[in-house]
Amino acid sequence: MQGEMPGFPFPGRPGGEHDEPLLDMIIARRALPPDAPQPMHDLARMLAALAGPAGPGELTGEAAVRAAFRQAVAPAGISPAARRPGRRRRPQRPARSRARLATALVAAVVGLGSVLAAYTDVLPSPIQQLAHVTVAAPAPPRSAQPATSAPRHAKAHQVHATSGPPARGPLHSAGPAPVPGRSSSAQAHYRPPASPSGHRPAEPACGPAPWRSTGPPDHHVAPSGSQGEHCTGIPTGPASLPTLNPYVPDRP
Amino acid sequence: MIGAAFSVTLASAQGGDEIAFACLFRDVQPALLRYLHVITPDAEDVAGDTWLQVVKSLPGFRGGEDAFRAWLFTIARHRAVDASRSRSRRPDVPLAVTEAPEQPAGLDTADLALEAISTRWVMDVIKTLPREHAEIIMLRVVAGLEATDVARIVGKTPGAVRVTAHRALRRLAEVAERAGVTH
Repeated sequence: MQGEMPGFPFPGRPGGEHDEPLLDMIIARRALPPDAPQPMHDLARMLAALAGPAGPGELTGEAAVRAAFRQAVAPAGISPAARRPGRRRRPQRPARSRARLATALVAAVVGLGSVLAAYTDVLPSPIQQLAHVTVAAPAPPRSAQPATSAPRHAKAHQVHATSGPPARGPLHSAGPAPVPGRSSSAQAHYRPPASPSGHRPAEPACGPAPWRSTGPPDHHVAPSGSQGEHCTGIPTGPASLPTLNPYVPDRP
Repeated sequence: MIGAAFSVTLASAQGGDEIAFACLFRDVQPALLRYLHVITPDAEDVAGDTWLQVVKSLPGFRGGEDAFRAWLFTIARHRAVDASRSRSRRPDVPLAVTEAPEQPAGLDTADLALEAISTRWVMDVIKTLPREHAEIIMLRVVAGLEATDVARIVGKTPGAVRVTAHRALRRLAEVAERAGVTH
């Protein structure tokens, strides 16, 4: 200790650590003994002045601090921004994350809406048929076919066979060749319409079914020259019964 | 120091009593401001930030008066360090001086004789000490913290705090003697 301050001219300090009890008393703000060296008393007075009561200007911040206290303990209803000046706000989500979240939400809404629309059977026939194949939505109604398709023109059938919407085609025609991705339960729910005479009408079965033309050849191909030829195996009348479609009950 | 009434005062302040909180403020603020004047040039701003933090965290505080003061001065020191870092990013502001001349700058013997033992003069004298010495003196003597609390705040051992405090007091006595602060 003495070596650190060799030239320390402290009166009444005979050496090194002899003044330490007095210094501890000063720090603890205890009264020094009367016989303590005068510089120790002076030091004690200095530190007592340092720890004295508030001087002028030392409490000027009280009003602001009390205002902050009032706002902090105020009931809810005060604007959070006004309650604590300089209060740290929760870091906002980065713009990149917000964009991803918005994209995901939009995709989810569109997807869910599409599925709902498919199950409510309000989509256009091609899209409804696609939904029927992919998500087991109801097949497009037969009424969706144009009324002008009733007259069986060969040209119209060709168009339907290549580009028209499907109409329960796979269930009618391609029993052995199921459409990928379609569940068997969807097929089981199918109920072929029956004509008043007990035969299935040929016309709806020959409705637009674009995937018929792209599907595998059917072994139920109707005799050449008949309308069923363009329907790729769709039975067109009593002569075509019985069918090999396992989902279509054969009628006697 | 509030003393025996501290626990009641603290509980009232934690319950939203503004008068009780004002008592806490008036009791600690002078020492806090003097301590901050020694360690940072932004004493008023840092003191305001400190009290805002105290207001925010007061409901969760548990402890007696010594613990309360130690807690508050710990917050103040952290805020002062933050202010110092912010200041250091501004090149036109000088950094804190670690070693100071033994005599307060700008004070001659006549001035010292006039101001003698005023609080302001003592603070100016303490500012002439090395920063670490001055801070420990302020925390031990002005804030009234125990050596263990001071050691925790400044990151030293209690023994090192005690030795540093003694060394600083000796230096203060030397300055006082040179300034003629005697009976």
